[in-house]
Amino acid sequence: MAMNYPILTILIFLPLAGALALVPFWRRERWAKGIAMGCAVVELALAGRLLFAAAGLPAASGAPGGYFLWEDHVWIERFGIRYTLGMDGISLLMVALTAFITLLAMLVSWRGIRERVPLHYLMLLVMESGIMGVFLAQDLFLFYLFWEVMLIPMFFLIGIWGHGRRIYSAVKFFIYTMAGSLLMLLAIIGIYLIHGARGGNYTFALHDLIGTPLDPGTALWLFAAFLFAFAIKVPVFPLHTWLPDAHTDAPTAGSVILAGLLLKTGAYGLIRFGYPLFPTAAKAVTPLLLTLAVIGIVYGSWVAYAQEDMKRLVAYSSVGHMGFVALGIAVWSPVALSGAVLQMVNHGITTGALFALVGMLDERTDTREISAYGGLWGKVPLLAFFFLLFSMASAGLPGLNNFVGEFLILAGAFRVTPVAVVIAFVGIVLPLIYTVRLVQQLLFVEERRPLTLPDLSLREGAILAVLALTAVYLGVHPAPLLGLLKVSVALLTGGLP
Amino acid sequence: METLVMPAINFAAIMPETILSIVAMVLLLLNVFVPGEQKAYLAYLSLIGIVVAFFSVVSGWNAPLPMQEGFNGSVLQDNFSLFFKAIFLISAGLAVLISDHYMVKEECNYGELYPLILFATAGMMLMASGTDLMTIFLGLEVLSVSLYVLAGYNRSNIKSNEAGLKYFLLGAFSTGFLLYGMALTYGATGTTKIAKIASAAALDATLSSNPMFVVGMLLMAVGFSFKIAAAPFHMWTPDVYEGAPTPMTAFMSAGPKAAGFAAFIRVLMVAMPTLKADWSDLLWILAVLTMTVGNIIALSQNNIKRMLAYSSIAHAGYALVGFTAGNGEGTAGILFYMLSYAFMNIGAFAIIILVGKKGEPNNNVEDYAGFGVKHPVLAMIMALFLFSLAGMPPTAGFVGKFYLFSAALKSGYVWLVVIGVLNSAASCYYYLRVMVYMYMKDPVEEFDWMKLSPAIWASIAISAVGVIVPGIVPSIILQLAQKAILL
Amino acid sequence: MLGAYLPIIVLVTIAILFGLGSLIFSSLIGPKKPSEVKLAPYECGCEPVGSARERFSIKFYIIAMLFILFDIEAVFLYPWAVVFKKFIAAGLGPFILAEMGVFIVILFVGYIYVWKKGALEWE
Repeated sequence: MAMNYPILTILIFLPLAGALALVPFWRRERWAKGIAMGCAVVELALAGRLLFAAAGLPAASGAPGGYFLWEDHVWIERFGIRYTLGMDGISLLMVALTAFITLLAMLVSWRGIRERVPLHYLMLLVMESGIMGVFLAQDLFLFYLFWEVMLIPMFFLIGIWGHGRRIYSAVKFFIYTMAGSLLMLLAIIGIYLIHGARGGNYTFALHDLIGTPLDPGTALWLFAAFLFAFAIKVPVFPLHTWLPDAHTDAPTAGSVILAGLLLKTGAYGLIRFGYPLFPTAAKAVTPLLLTLAVIGIVYGSWVAYAQEDMKRLVAYSSVGHMGFVALGIAVWSPVALSGAVLQMVNHGITTGALFALVGMLDERTDTREISAYGGLWGKVPLLAFFFLLFSMASAGLPGLNNFVGEFLILAGAFRVTPVAVVIAFVGIVLPLIYTVRLVQQLLFVEERRPLTLPDLSLREGAILAVLALTAVYLGVHPAPLLGLLKVSVALLTGGLP
Repeated sequence: METLVMPAINFAAIMPETILSIVAMVLLLLNVFVPGEQKAYLAYLSLIGIVVAFFSVVSGWNAPLPMQEGFNGSVLQDNFSLFFKAIFLISAGLAVLISDHYMVKEECNYGELYPLILFATAGMMLMASGTDLMTIFLGLEVLSVSLYVLAGYNRSNIKSNEAGLKYFLLGAFSTGFLLYGMALTYGATGTTKIAKIASAAALDATLSSNPMFVVGMLLMAVGFSFKIAAAPFHMWTPDVYEGAPTPMTAFMSAGPKAAGFAAFIRVLMVAMPTLKADWSDLLWILAVLTMTVGNIIALSQNNIKRMLAYSSIAHAGYALVGFTAGNGEGTAGILFYMLSYAFMNIGAFAIIILVGKKGEPNNNVEDYAGFGVKHPVLAMIMALFLFSLAGMPPTAGFVGKFYLFSAALKSGYVWLVVIGVLNSAASCYYYLRVMVYMYMKDPVEEFDWMKLSPAIWASIAISAVGVIVPGIVPSIILQLAQKAILL
Repeated sequence: MLGAYLPIIVLVTIAILFGLGSLIFSSLIGPKKPSEVKLAPYECGCEPVGSARERFSIKFYIIAMLFILFDIEAVFLYPWAVVFKKFIAAGLGPFILAEMGVFIVILFVGYIYVWKKGALEWE
């Protein structure tokens, strides 16, 4: 299948165009929703087409190894900035996830958002553009641009349509990530200047910059800046404090995107930029990152157990799950890295689904307190069934999707750091404890106060069914995804033992 | 009887200044001879003058050297000054566009405003192209005197009076420093011509350690720091910016600041490269202080004009980072940044004008509550300007900041840039605050809506384009800026 | 060298002598009939005794400022007049005349503005 049109550019800018097209429909909610949904569906179709065609695509000409789609144009010649987009297996999975989760986010907010509806969909579309750009950019400057663009709509999503201390959370989220990303910008300029001073070739092109000889001290500083920016997003343990606030106060769609996609951009950044650019510095930092990842796994699950607010519980469980991803990256072996990428996808799906479910409950009863519920199994069997399913998936039950990623990560890590793996195993058990507690309290305990709530509507059922199918499919048959990742992961890890 | 030699005059070198002055004088007379309360025609006439002057600026671009020099080497209309002149004209044009609306609303539509803006612009131009300390001083005075009047233009408003008086007193004070510095420099080198100062310093190595010369440089730096509102010489800025009529605040923050930079850069980089070790240290300190003071105090401001005043101090600090770098990149960065800043700041002020009621009782951040719901399009554009001020991509503000910071990194000022970046992150907070009120709080009271004039729409649209387009395709302006550096 | 300044010294000496002489002679020759008004220090139309913080009418300032503004032109006109002949000799007469014309026109614009604004009217 030859791609004779710039499909990557379309993937990025179609949502943006859709967002602009929403502006005239400022007062017409139905139209706005329709347009936004149309864009999201087209995006998903494009991503799906790529997903199925990818295995047969030849390597793109002029691209580094592993990339089967490549677009490269001069953008700002003065600085050697190019408009370079590329897609390899990792990018493809992330792009597909983005298209999928965005559509999901739109669907779950179909009824929940009642104020300023067009603006909400506009923000979701801009968000999609930004995230697509992050996953496709192969030029550091371009990457940074999208990285920042993705911040703005999330700020508004939390701040306008959130709950509780929404403004505090939105501003905290923004400043936190901004501080990190500005330091990364410095490091980007730093490596640009060092590379340029060496050979006279001033460029931001990622694949030209990879392999720039750096003295260890400088490399460490630059890598630290990258790590700081990405670790905030992932989030790695001591930098996670924005996450529970942002998640708890965000609207459902915001939480879904935050957990499903934004956290992935941090991990993706480490995989695509941080490690390849500074392999030696990364190796030097590995023990630290391993430690933090393991702490994150245990700590996230531990704190999750103590939560009374369902959304906060899921948020803290994300800290734990993303700790696994960080562990996989820190180990940097083919198996662990494949596991990390897979875990990113799986976590996006299960946590997205859990947030959607919590949102549905919240819409029905206006509370997210665990203790307010009970006996849902008898009352709303469908909802309860999906809740059980995704909780189990999140806890890493074999046969469901999360298990595969976690297993691969631990298997990969075992060869490098058995100690870390042993501790991380605690992180596998702990989720079981809090999940079982959650499920038991919600579904099976006798209800504490009478709640009348309807079961899933057709829309909700359809969303969850699709998610459930995906989760099960990925749980039992992850081989195609692993196949997609194989080349890229091998090429990436080739540099590091 | 000795024979007189005709000095090399070359009026082409001051063409834009001449055009503006003539138009200003015509407007002055028209204003007194044509009776009536409607003064909008003056605005349109001055716009014509500005456009003609702009064409003259454009046609002077890349002119051969003999065409640039004038008045026996007192004036040099090189690309550097032309780029600045374009910035001045743009900010003057935008200020004119937003003025009529405001002046009618505030009932201080006297008509002298437009000639004064034009005179001020002519003064700025003279500052940018002056290659003699005297010419620079002359331009500065023409600019300053006009600005003193403009700051106190709303004479029935006590805050505007305060602004005018304060600006006058502190401006006169700073002019004293500047002039004293020029006098000392003249004393040390025996000339006021910038090129000759440089050659004198190059020939005589002892001059670099001559206290008279060094103190002359320092005092001039102090004088210019007042003009560009660099900390610790920024004290006048908040009161003046808050009190002055909003269009004039917009104008002051964009044009004259750029003019101060133009003269500052020329004096330090061309006349005193031998003192570079001294002045780059000085600028380092100034830049850090300016950024930090501006941003930190802006965090606690409630009045939006005052907040933008402090933000404008901080922005002068970012530009000083590029200046500290002392290389061509830094200068080009300042050029680019000043241009972007003119667009984003005047654009933001245009919206403040639209929101403000008579007498400006509602210029606090809280008064923007619900703006995003009531006026979605305007709020979105305001958000655009604020994001650009905060340096978010893809806006001109980001590219400009990127340029400045990378120039400083290139010269090895890593810590300076780190401080700049942290400041930049902190500054997000106060810009976000406005957005929080615009979008995330419920409206407290109705917005008092005047009929939007096409002029103010035009200014907002132009500013928005000027913020977005260089943010996405900066190449053309970057190339122009690159050709406009002093070497 | 100092000889060049001799006329100035003579002028200054004569001026001083004339001033002192006028004072001395008028006090010697003049009749003395003191009255309260005559003994009061001279001030132009104002009460000589009272608070120093009294406000003046703005009119005084305007007149004073305008006087200075238009008086300064003389400072420029004189040296111009002195060297004008040299310019004529150098063949630059018309040009330099036109330059002065421009200067006068600018001043005149200011004058007309002041006049039409009513700054020259006392009431």
